[in-house]
Amino acid sequence: MAHGHRTLLFPMPSNFEPITLTEAGDGEVSLLEIIDHVLNAGVVIHGSLVISLAGVDLVYLGLNVVLTSVETALRNIHAEEKRRLK
Amino acid sequence: MSRTALAYCAFLENPGISLPAAGVNGAPVQIMSLGKLRLLWAEVEWPFQPEHMQKNAVEFHSVVSHVFKQVAVIPFRLLSVFEDAEALRTFIAEHEAAFVADLERLSEVVQMECVVYPNPAPSQVNATSGAAYLHEKAAKLHAIEQQVQDVQTGLGSVMREVRVREAKSGTRIFVLTERGRAAEFRTIIERVPLPAQLARRVSGPWPAAEFLSEEVRAPQVASAK
Repeated sequence: MAHGHRTLLFPMPSNFEPITLTEAGDGEVSLLEIIDHVLNAGVVIHGSLVISLAGVDLVYLGLNVVLTSVETALRNIHAEEKRRLK
Repeated sequence: MSRTALAYCAFLENPGISLPAAGVNGAPVQIMSLGKLRLLWAEVEWPFQPEHMQKNAVEFHSVVSHVFKQVAVIPFRLLSVFEDAEALRTFIAEHEAAFVADLERLSEVVQMECVVYPNPAPSQVNATSGAAYLHEKAAKLHAIEQQVQDVQTGLGSVMREVRVREAKSGTRIFVLTERGRAAEFRTIIERVPLPAQLARRVSGPWPAAEFLSEEVRAPQVASAK
């Protein structure tokens, strides 16, 4: 799985601050909690083809949450293989 | 950069629900209908710019929260993008029954969270003694286990279901409780004695993401097999 790549692809910018947001009736919600939830809670999309081929450089597409068509995936793999053979 | 379909959340049809107009990067929020399932999505530029991730996360959260304050939702993770609306529709159609079943099961509940972790205040233990350090660490772990147990016991009837998971941030307790009982949940937790060497934080209500069925939480994509 590509969970570990998340922080690599989306490093927190230097101006990252643990600000706190207030939502009516819900108390305080910190930005860190929001980021944790929007990235880590809920439906995670991963096609088995994308996962199994991640080692062949599909990871640049952006994690296991990216759904792409088989045609697109294969096109990218072939392009990558050609590039390596050059 | 390319245009992709970003999925926000799914919910059951309800004509009385107000919907947000715009979401991530100001893109108009669109609604997709399949049977009694409704899905919010938007066409966005992909990939996102790292320097905009904070803003994107808050915008994404705002869209999901807007609906979640009214009804139960199944949130997608922020980076769940599809090639286009048709790919998204195909995906949803494959899993429509499971999404509907989860939404019906979770229609009246929300997820509350309590994370228990060692108090970040400087330790009083002699830092030069390895034995003392290990002893203190073991005591903290035991205290956390006890605290998790005490919290669950205290919540009693407020708790419909519970999941406990170890995380980097501490031990996380996810509790399913009825919508509208968040304040009661917080009050109960505050009454549970907290040892000095521990800290805890309560958050919620959140969509019941920790309690989704496996088919919904991590669906296999038939078109990608």
